[in-house]
Amino acid sequence: MRKYSIKQYMLLVMAIIITMIFLFPIYWMIVTSVKPIQDVFATPPMIIPETIQFDAYVKNLIEDRSLFPYIRNSLIVALGTALLTLVLAIPCAYALARFKLKWGNILLLVLLVTQMIPGIMMAMPLYILFSKIGLLNSYLALIVGNTTSALPFAIVIMRPFFLSIPKGLEEAAVIDGCNRFTAFFRIILPLTKPVVLTVSTFSFLFAWGDLIFALTLATDEKIRPLTMGLTKFIGQYGTQWDNLMAVSTIAAAPILIAFLFLQKYIVSGITAGAEK
Amino acid sequence: MNGSMAKSTIAKNSIRKRYFTKSLSQYLFVIPAALFVLLFMVYPIVYNIIVSFQDLTLMNLRQGGSFIGLQNYIEIVQTEKFVIALKNTIIYTFSCIFFQVIIGYLLAVFLNQDFPFRNFFRSIMLLAWMTPLVITGTLFKWLFDVDYGVINYLLTSLHLIDNPINWLGQESTALAAVIITNTWVGIPFNMILILAAMQALPSDVYEAAKVDGASKLQTFSNVTMPLLRPALLIILVLGIIYTFKVFDIILIMTGGGPVNATQVLPFYGYELAFVNFNFGASGAVATIILVILLCIALVYLMMIRKEEAE
Repeated sequence: MRKYSIKQYMLLVMAIIITMIFLFPIYWMIVTSVKPIQDVFATPPMIIPETIQFDAYVKNLIEDRSLFPYIRNSLIVALGTALLTLVLAIPCAYALARFKLKWGNILLLVLLVTQMIPGIMMAMPLYILFSKIGLLNSYLALIVGNTTSALPFAIVIMRPFFLSIPKGLEEAAVIDGCNRFTAFFRIILPLTKPVVLTVSTFSFLFAWGDLIFALTLATDEKIRPLTMGLTKFIGQYGTQWDNLMAVSTIAAAPILIAFLFLQKYIVSGITAGAEK
Repeated sequence: MNGSMAKSTIAKNSIRKRYFTKSLSQYLFVIPAALFVLLFMVYPIVYNIIVSFQDLTLMNLRQGGSFIGLQNYIEIVQTEKFVIALKNTIIYTFSCIFFQVIIGYLLAVFLNQDFPFRNFFRSIMLLAWMTPLVITGTLFKWLFDVDYGVINYLLTSLHLIDNPINWLGQESTALAAVIITNTWVGIPFNMILILAAMQALPSDVYEAAKVDGASKLQTFSNVTMPLLRPALLIILVLGIIYTFKVFDIILIMTGGGPVNATQVLPFYGYELAFVNFNFGASGAVATIILVILLCIALVYLMMIRKEEAE
């Protein structure tokens, strides 16, 4: 254990206070969801709850099971997006880092330009395209839609990673009789674990939180994800904030969980994504 | 001995050449992603541009619209809604970025100091950024509630306001409420990026400044700022591009209202396409956004080119 000075412990106290103020909204979401309804509407607001009860959770998870199909749909779409993004991005980022491809730079430029158009404006052409080929209202449509927002990010943060792997590795593999593909699968792929975790966490969370494609490409309630379920509850519950905040907390749970276990990969992903 | 080493070097070089030079099999790595990008990302952008010159609506979607030149653009630019949406998007983008970068910078300076568990504090704040915007929007609607919202309670008990404000229900405050919400979302993102840039700064210049007796303010304006400038510039450009694309928060919190007070360009484009089914006009809005953001990106590229030349 390192020794810290008094001043450093004062900084710690300040950090705790700043974080508490900054993250108060998240605290308020959770606290509102476990208060009895009369306490939710108490004036002045009860910052520290007097009674804690889980009625809103019992109601939305046990008595009424209408939330479950939404959760299932969100999981399918988010996992599908993470998988499709990885399958497309890993070989592409590898090739862009390793081989001098004629169109390599153009592909990177195109990825950059696609960031200049709002997702919601991508949704209209995709809607028309999918309705023509009969893909509307399918998980695949949502997965493809979400991958359009996850893929550029994935390639941009994976390429520098491959650049940092020494070239000698593949050379040695080739001398040992590997070809380009076996060298990639046997030697390079096992090294990519940290960056794969970063990219899959992000693409999963992108898709989990997506509202744009859920709103436009899935008009059928049966395949709509949790974000759309939430907007339905907003309409249905109006100002029943305890129920709304309980549903919100449930929807935010994967983020909290991902955060607890994958914190390191999330921070590295954000900083890598902003490099040129 | 020497001969065999030379031989193996030659063999190595030829392998290296074979492995890294162009060949069809290299392209196989890129083709799946390239096809995806072409089909689902480039095509929609091109489609938006083409459709913006057509009178495409739900009526003639099957047979395709006919070419009408710039009519969509002329009609849209003349609507009051477009002008308001453009104005609001600009106000929204610049106020969000302004507050996010300043508060993010201050937090980065604070968290750049050495104290116990500082890495934990750096990353826990990212929760605000990672929470899906649907949830954030709902949550801030509750915080901004007229009668029971915490924000009104706080402001009245501090005697900053006399009567509770109907934040989202009146034209004068709705945009401010949405800006506050998105500023909260973006602060940790800016903080993490600025912090990363700060940690990449060389420490010896600071020691030199200390030896030379520079004050804190002098060090800030003569050392930190010039060194951070390139990083800050890219953070600003990224921030502007992402903030300009605002949609989720508007849909959840205000729906563009009251009376267009929070109408923004992406939301307007959405309404044109999915409420009015006027795909041509929506394509025009998409193209206008694309052009604006491309201009900002070009200005950025010109700035760094100029700096690199100097």
